[in-house]
Amino acid sequence: MTHPAFEAQLDAYLDGELAAPDAAELEQHLRACPECSRLERRRRSLSAALRDQLPRFPAPDTLRAGVRAGARAEAGRTARRRAPSWGALAVAASLALVAFGSRQLALRGAAGEAITNQVLASHVRSLMPGHLTDVLSSDQHTVKPWFNGKLDFSPPVYDFAGSGFPLVGGRLEYVDGRPVAALAYSRRQHVISVFVWPAGQGGGRTAGPGDATRQGYHLLHWVTPAFAYWVASDLGLSELRDFVTLLQRGDSAATAAVR
Amino acid sequence: MIQWDRLSTPATYSPGNNPAARRVSIDRWTTYAEDRLESSELERFEAVVLPHLDAAYTLARYLTRNDHDAQDVVQDASLRALRYFAGFRGGASGEGRAWLLAIVRNTAYTWRQRHRADTLTTEFDEERHSESVADRHPGAAVEAQSQRAALRRAIDDLPPEFREVIVLRELEGLSYKEISDVAGVPVGTVMSRLSRARRRLEEALCADPEDC
Repeated sequence: MTHPAFEAQLDAYLDGELAAPDAAELEQHLRACPECSRLERRRRSLSAALRDQLPRFPAPDTLRAGVRAGARAEAGRTARRRAPSWGALAVAASLALVAFGSRQLALRGAAGEAITNQVLASHVRSLMPGHLTDVLSSDQHTVKPWFNGKLDFSPPVYDFAGSGFPLVGGRLEYVDGRPVAALAYSRRQHVISVFVWPAGQGGGRTAGPGDATRQGYHLLHWVTPAFAYWVASDLGLSELRDFVTLLQRGDSAATAAVR
Repeated sequence: MIQWDRLSTPATYSPGNNPAARRVSIDRWTTYAEDRLESSELERFEAVVLPHLDAAYTLARYLTRNDHDAQDVVQDASLRALRYFAGFRGGASGEGRAWLLAIVRNTAYTWRQRHRADTLTTEFDEERHSESVADRHPGAAVEAQSQRAALRRAIDDLPPEFREVIVLRELEGLSYKEISDVAGVPVGTVMSRLSRARRRLEEALCADPEDC
């Protein structure tokens, strides 16, 4: 049985971390003490086994690509956060629209159309690695309070895991001149983004045609007395409508409970 | 195809509160795109971080003990790293590695707290749970396989504070000082944790108690 302090000294010695005078002293002791030199041999063979046999895990290509894409997207986002005024954000948003594939869409200038495109752009962007959520939790009681202090309203957050639409998390988005809540739900491999802001404000005022399909994504829109909603997903339309029904039911149940 | 890197470019342009600026033309956007600040910083970031992604993933993989979570942790850590990058002034490659590994390590611990319920129940692992005494029959290949599995199991059973010092020292070859930076503990603590971790591994792997 060796003393733990001696063991730590021996380990440091084997790791090349012991100062020269201490190392010399320890070597002298090892020559004299068979028990300690047995320990030394065991430690050397343990280290050799660990180095030879413990696997190293090369980063998968998808992760490597995800880190690069995430960094590029985040760099843009950070710069936007640094921007001093909402005006700059509006410019960024409107320019994003212009750059967003079909130029004629933004130039057409219809406000409703613009919101549809902003919602779509936000949803597509959120699908890039690392961008789906700022708060990652399937617990509605974690996600809902996360928005405190970040928004001037508290968005309705539900967990529909029981119905096959588990909550993934939430994030902040910027739509039509105001920060809005975005909630991510999932259905198998599909992601559903729900954008919420108080009715009658910002996008609520100018919301255009209800539903749209753009670039393979469905966008559904409705307004309740309290909130304006947009839902975006590549999920099949009928399943997406099921989800919307759940959401509307949840919302009216919450309103009823308050009354 | 949406060009995401182009979408972010106008953000450096700050028009103040002038409403007319909302109708800024594409031509002006192109001009301001050249002022982009992030691009050189982003390149510097990639030069510092990407070479150490294997080390980052290995550490995350040992701390979380599964591939999927390890990917989430590294992805998350890399975004955190980008946010803190302005504060990173290191030049040498080793400094970049220790800096990134420290962020990965902290992200993994935060992540573990958040998912405590999940991580307490150890997932079924083919290699770990299928091995039985009957598998340990003679034969060099089987012997080696079994030793490898025993080693993996012994490592996975260590508390994370011990597991990380073993991985950082034995697999990544970090110095005590670097490990102390990554784990955020004094060098003396690194020394005693490594020693205790090794003793535990020896005990776990020891076939003949007489010998240990």
